Amino acid sequence: MGKIKGKRFPYGIHVDDMKYLSKDAPIVKMPAPEVAYISMSQHIGAQAIPVVKVGDIVTKRQLIGQSSGAISANVYSSICGEVIAIEDIVNGAGQKLKYVVIKNDGRTDEIRFENVPDFEPQTIIDRIRLAGIVGLGGAGFPTAVKLSPTTKLDTLIINGAECEPYLTCDYRLMIEHADEIYRGAKYTAKSLGINKIIFGIESNKPDAIEIFSKYSDVEVVSLAKQYPMGSEKHLIYCCIGRKVPIGKMPFDVGVCVNNVKTMIAVNHAMESNKALSSTVLTVSGKGIKKPMNIRVQLGTPIKDIIEFCGGTCDNVSKVIAGGPMMGKALINLNHYTRKVDSGFLFLTDEEIDDKQPTNCINCAKCANNCPMRLMPMYIESFALSGDYTNAEKYGAMNCIECGSCAFNCPAKRSLVQSISMAKAKIKEMKANGRK
Amino acid sequence: MVENKILTYSSSPHVKTKRTTRFIMANVCIALLPSCIAGCIFFGLYALLLLSFAVVSAFLSEVIYKLLEKKNLNQIIKEFDFTSIVTGLLVGMTVGVNYPWYTVIFGSVFAIIVVKMLFGGTGCNLVNPAIAGRIFIFISFQSVVTAWVLPNFASINQSALTGATALDSLLKTGNTKLSLLDLFLGTGVAGCIGETCKLALILGGIYLAVLGIINILYPIIYIVITGVFTVVLCDFNFALFLPSILSGGLILGAIFMATDYVTTPNTNLGNVIYFALLGLINAGLRVATKMEVVSFSILLMNLVVPLIDKFIVLKPFGYKKVKEGK
Repeated sequence: MGKIKGKRFPYGIHVDDMKYLSKDAPIVKMPAPEVAYISMSQHIGAQAIPVVKVGDIVTKRQLIGQSSGAISANVYSSICGEVIAIEDIVNGAGQKLKYVVIKNDGRTDEIRFENVPDFEPQTIIDRIRLAGIVGLGGAGFPTAVKLSPTTKLDTLIINGAECEPYLTCDYRLMIEHADEIYRGAKYTAKSLGINKIIFGIESNKPDAIEIFSKYSDVEVVSLAKQYPMGSEKHLIYCCIGRKVPIGKMPFDVGVCVNNVKTMIAVNHAMESNKALSSTVLTVSGKGIKKPMNIRVQLGTPIKDIIEFCGGTCDNVSKVIAGGPMMGKALINLNHYTRKVDSGFLFLTDEEIDDKQPTNCINCAKCANNCPMRLMPMYIESFALSGDYTNAEKYGAMNCIECGSCAFNCPAKRSLVQSISMAKAKIKEMKANGRK
Repeated sequence: MVENKILTYSSSPHVKTKRTTRFIMANVCIALLPSCIAGCIFFGLYALLLLSFAVVSAFLSEVIYKLLEKKNLNQIIKEFDFTSIVTGLLVGMTVGVNYPWYTVIFGSVFAIIVVKMLFGGTGCNLVNPAIAGRIFIFISFQSVVTAWVLPNFASINQSALTGATALDSLLKTGNTKLSLLDLFLGTGVAGCIGETCKLALILGGIYLAVLGIINILYPIIYIVITGVFTVVLCDFNFALFLPSILSGGLILGAIFMATDYVTTPNTNLGNVIYFALLGLINAGLRVATKMEVVSFSILLMNLVVPLIDKFIVLKPFGYKKVKEGK
């Protein structure tokens, strides 16, 4: 296999991708859980409002959470059964969210939407909103909102970069369900009224690039294996050479970016009339017996997933929801699959780094690797001394929290942690200032 | 099993490079070894004695300072990052063999306690400790060390000559009475312990560059600009180019002292400016004072670094210049 060259962006880092662990494992459907804990907040924006009561009998793909507000999304039941509780639970990532707990009763029937009457743009957007589809790449921004931009768009970019190490679910989907992704992308492009579709795929997935090159009316851009290629701004820069200005969104440069997983959900909503009730995850890391790619029902507890994947090894020391660069470490295993999850990683002592931070030696490795070209060492020192005004001056709000700085830091400083604290404080300051 | 285990919790990213400050500094020590060995071969056992005194006193003064800070031994071992060893080695390498043994101890202790630890330890010093230590010795012991071994502008037999004479004749005639090969290898050249064998220094530099610890471009900028500017100042006498590069502590200073992370700017552009200015100041002062000034020029530029860093800041991705006024 020849080495494919790919488009690059300046700076950025190279991370061992570790994808060999689960790269060749086909997607397996995991059986529905005994009890599903379905969160009402599986997206960015307002929590959905439960429309069921304790004791109700629900069917699979029945609406249980109604979206509330402009940026929100519907939530559907992922199993058939009885609602046994609606309560606030602190999950493994430390977030206190409202959960609807459903006990499985073993029925296998499910509710579907009616066929779409036509394929007009507004119909497609309405269907996407109804099906509760959000950005499944990890951000969880409601897709319908993304598809109703205020500016004129001309390009749809499908994000198949999957630059996070370990994760392989997008890759498996691309080689197993290429056709569904392609049709989903066509519907999405139609809803935006544009023709130009670009697939951005990292060059470490040559077979996926080959598959999508077959379709004549889409363009495939081969991207260098570089972290963080999956970041919207860098993906847009590599695919069509446009730079998203500071503080602006992709639609300001006429581009809409969607993840491949979202495209499958769109296709299911349009062709099979299915609401979003399951997602594909990578379960990987050296701490799990059988690394796998699995399709799980939303709300499946992480303990069931561990059991399904053969259990964990004894030397697991860290469990992560998401990728190792941007994912959240879990405090405990009371965690339940949400739409935004793209994987669960079980890392051992040898894989993680828990060295204590030492003094900054001013080596500027962080600044030389920052894909947003910020100067993390200054922002960090300002954040730690409480000088948030200066932290903002050095561009704290532009940080995408990709972790490139902390990855390379020889002094092992928690740069991302300090910068995100600064971001929160700056937001707080601004909110107080406005009052 | 995992259910009963207390999981590690921390902020992302969860994977990091294996490279630590300790790893980097240990490799700088390794890179310095060839020239230390060369120095010991050229200048005999007394050179080894001076080097060991410098290293041991640097190390001990750091440990004692930390003990006075009421840190326990475990913590000190955990924090140990080889920076004191690097400083000690550099202090030892920048003195000549005619120095009394106690001078290097004063130099090392001054470098570690006053220049590094009082400012907050590793990463907090304003100027390179080793340079400050060397200059401390240079200025303080002028009455003790009467015959200065003038940094290899002259052959070892001429060491009784005052430096000004040798450098003066070099700059006027380009005649060093030493072949370029001798200057490069350090054979029969007078000078400080660590700075005569250019081959060994360059080997160390290449080692650091291959590991990605230093950017080899920066020392090259410094060295080449020094050479070119010397030529320009001496009426375009191109014969001076190589001798001026190969003589003195220039290569040692350029590869190991000027590139010290703590005292260099944080941006690529800032670094280019810093090293270019170093070259200009070095050549200019050399011609003006007829003295070896590498350490003084680095000390001076170290103090300019915060200024460079204040004005040269990276522009974020997607940055557009905002129009002034409305």
